[in-house]
Amino acid sequence: MEKAKRLDDKARPKRPLQAWFDVRQDRLGTWAFALNRLTGIGLTVYLFLHLGVLSLLAQGPEAWDDFLELAHHPLYLMLDVILIFGILFHGLNGIRVALVGMGIGVRSQRTLFWVLMGIGLVLLVVSAWLVFTI
Amino acid sequence: MQELLSEQRTVQERASGPAGALWLVQAFSGLLLVLLLLLHMIAHHFVVEGGLRDYQEVVDYVSNPAIFTITIVFLIVVSIHALLGLRALVMDLGPKESTMRVVNWILVIIGVAMVIYGVWLEVTITRM
Repeated sequence: MEKAKRLDDKARPKRPLQAWFDVRQDRLGTWAFALNRLTGIGLTVYLFLHLGVLSLLAQGPEAWDDFLELAHHPLYLMLDVILIFGILFHGLNGIRVALVGMGIGVRSQRTLFWVLMGIGLVLLVVSAWLVFTI
Repeated sequence: MQELLSEQRTVQERASGPAGALWLVQAFSGLLLVLLLLLHMIAHHFVVEGGLRDYQEVVDYVSNPAIFTITIVFLIVVSIHALLGLRALVMDLGPKESTMRVVNWILVIIGVAMVIYGVWLEVTITRM
């Protein structure tokens, strides 16, 4: 019954895919929501790719070590940095969403968002440096 | 202040019924993932010379029972979080209830398959 009510929710946008990315009002929450969805989709796709790549380990040392050569290419390292950006944004924004959803920091969530994004930026720079120097 | 609330209601509103329970699972698995992912990035990449272990190093690393267990826990948590996220995306499209039932089953099957695959892979690696 509740499920039926939820699915028929009149407040649900008629064209939800458009609503996700409708940032015309330039609201911070809309941008955060859209980017959270995009990074979530990207990370899910990456998760499946990652599990697929790990299957090389079952094929023995040659298959894995061939992959390692590819993984050290600068283009691949750049993709690693984009991945880390996705992880940091989704993870840190997710912390805000979870806390506010539990009633913690509701009044200061804008500040919380920018503090977390500041932490994310520092971690991104440090991670990118590590990716290219390790 | 309202603007950031567009995507999030308080837990009191969410916690009623299955949708609320799933939101809590999504939130707590996400918070747990932040810790597990941090450990994963440090242990698997940032403290390893070259950023990735070679084959023998992977075998030795995964053969440690504690690492084996943590990796499987990580896979279970990340699978739950990712598949609940996909479910939320589908829900946003306003599907029929019957469609949603099928989607739920497909996601459960994918999740179970991911965990079985992960355990198989780790067991295979440790036996090589």
